[in-house]
Amino acid sequence: MTWRTVARRDWRLTVDARSAKVLLALVVLGVLLAGYIYPVVTTEPYTTSRFPAFVEGILTTLVPFVGVLLGYNAVVSDRESGAIRLSLSLPQSRSDVVLGTYASRTGLLAGTLAGSLAVAGALVVYPFGELQLGRFLVFVGLAVAYGAVWSGLGIAVSLAVATKRRALVVGFVFLFLFVVVWDALEAATALGLSAAGLVGDELPAAVELAFGLEPGRAFGRATAGLVDPTRSVEGAWYLGGWAAVAVLALWVVGPLGLAYARFAGRDLT
Amino acid sequence: MAAIEADAVSKRYGSEVALDRVDLSVAEGETFGFLGPNGAGKSTFINVLLDYAKPTDGSASIFGNDCQGAGVAARDRIGVLPEGYSVFDRLTGRQHVEYAMDSKGVDGDPSRILDRVGILDDADRTASDYSKGMAQRLVLGMALVGDPDLLILDEPSTGLDPNGAAEMRAILEEENERGATVFFSSHILEQVEAVCDRVGILQNGELVAVDTIEGLRESLGGGTKLVITLDRLDDGTIESVRSVAGVETAVARDEETLEVTCTNDAKMDILVELHDAGVDVVNFRTEEASLEDMFIEYTGSR
Repeated sequence: MTWRTVARRDWRLTVDARSAKVLLALVVLGVLLAGYIYPVVTTEPYTTSRFPAFVEGILTTLVPFVGVLLGYNAVVSDRESGAIRLSLSLPQSRSDVVLGTYASRTGLLAGTLAGSLAVAGALVVYPFGELQLGRFLVFVGLAVAYGAVWSGLGIAVSLAVATKRRALVVGFVFLFLFVVVWDALEAATALGLSAAGLVGDELPAAVELAFGLEPGRAFGRATAGLVDPTRSVEGAWYLGGWAAVAVLALWVVGPLGLAYARFAGRDLT
Repeated sequence: MAAIEADAVSKRYGSEVALDRVDLSVAEGETFGFLGPNGAGKSTFINVLLDYAKPTDGSASIFGNDCQGAGVAARDRIGVLPEGYSVFDRLTGRQHVEYAMDSKGVDGDPSRILDRVGILDDADRTASDYSKGMAQRLVLGMALVGDPDLLILDEPSTGLDPNGAAEMRAILEEENERGATVFFSSHILEQVEAVCDRVGILQNGELVAVDTIEGLRESLGGGTKLVITLDRLDDGTIESVRSVAGVETAVARDEETLEVTCTNDAKMDILVELHDAGVDVVNFRTEEASLEDMFIEYTGSR
């Protein structure tokens, strides 16, 4: 279990870093703010199951940035400096290093999300709201999974490239694509296809599915389908709540697995 | 079982050959010096042992564990001072040693090790503020954690002053006496000559010689060099010396000095030959071929 050794060391270094503190504080602030103003700007009933629809927008904006920025330099900076040679001279494998680093950084983000959502939940419940514990716990779990997707993407990037600079660039390409321009891309595709006379008002299923794979949307569908009883997901089964959970799981495993395969076969230079 | 076993290890980067079918076996308990000019492939070989790099062909093992296939087991009983490392940015020296202890599953007080490598006073400073020499001591300390059975050190005296290098050598000797196998690379010959049981000489990726230092001397004509000062020296004299059985080379160093390399037995014969030729021997001394002479002989470079 030497990945724990790596995780402990990485945790110690990461919580010490000012940049990590700032990033995580941003998440706490966003979530708490959402919890505070939710009863003010929405109508009754205030429940912890309707709160997710409100906080979702903040999470899908903040978490990707924080996840990528927490993860992108994880392995690559040690590789660039040569510190990874010390780690790998000890009886621990490259997978221990990756797993340990992933556990530490994801743990930080997950802990921050869970903690701040718990407090935000309390703000929602007190004084007029209603707590639906089971559903809220599911939501916290989904938020943690969503965080794990993005910190995993960050770590994957840091495994796949050889310099910190490149890792940052690739990380921002993902952010830009999935967070900033995704909706516009979909709209443009729909417009293009209909202008070409290929489709009517609705996108074909395959295209719809493809756009629905984006982690933020999967997170949204999972929340709508599994947490909020007043909402439901329309459309085919593959756009349902459980399918969305599976998509999130694939996002956690896929990029990290591919990047690890690349990293494991490479020489350290 | 061999501490290190390399079987036709080759490493190519594109068309460039960094290691060419290196076969090497280092026995348990020996101190082995890995010599070669810069760029000969010493670090590449060590990188293969540590699985920093995969060999293009061949395989290497440490105590029977394949360095690539069973890397964790291979590194389980060793201590490493690699080349091209850097310390962790915000960890103190003590935390570095704790990290190594944690990873190797060793309990105990890091202070003992920090004291042994001479950086106890700086143990609680951030290691990134250390000088190169202190970092080198720190990583040696990490390597010593858990009394490893094999130490692999890549240019261990880099960044150390002469004092530090001597302390490093003393520690390596202590470790060897304890029973550890020591394998280190160096381009500094005195160090190797002082502590090694055997040496291997690497040149352009090829292992050109593996032997004891005496063995290398033997194979280089007994390794005795005679420096003879005469009252006069001419070509005829040199010719007659060359005709003596056992003489390898005879070269005039200057007007009156002759340098002869020969087997040990031939020394007296040379003096007798000179006497018979009617040349007066003003002075003479013998020199043992140093490792440096051999090194130059083998690699044709300094």
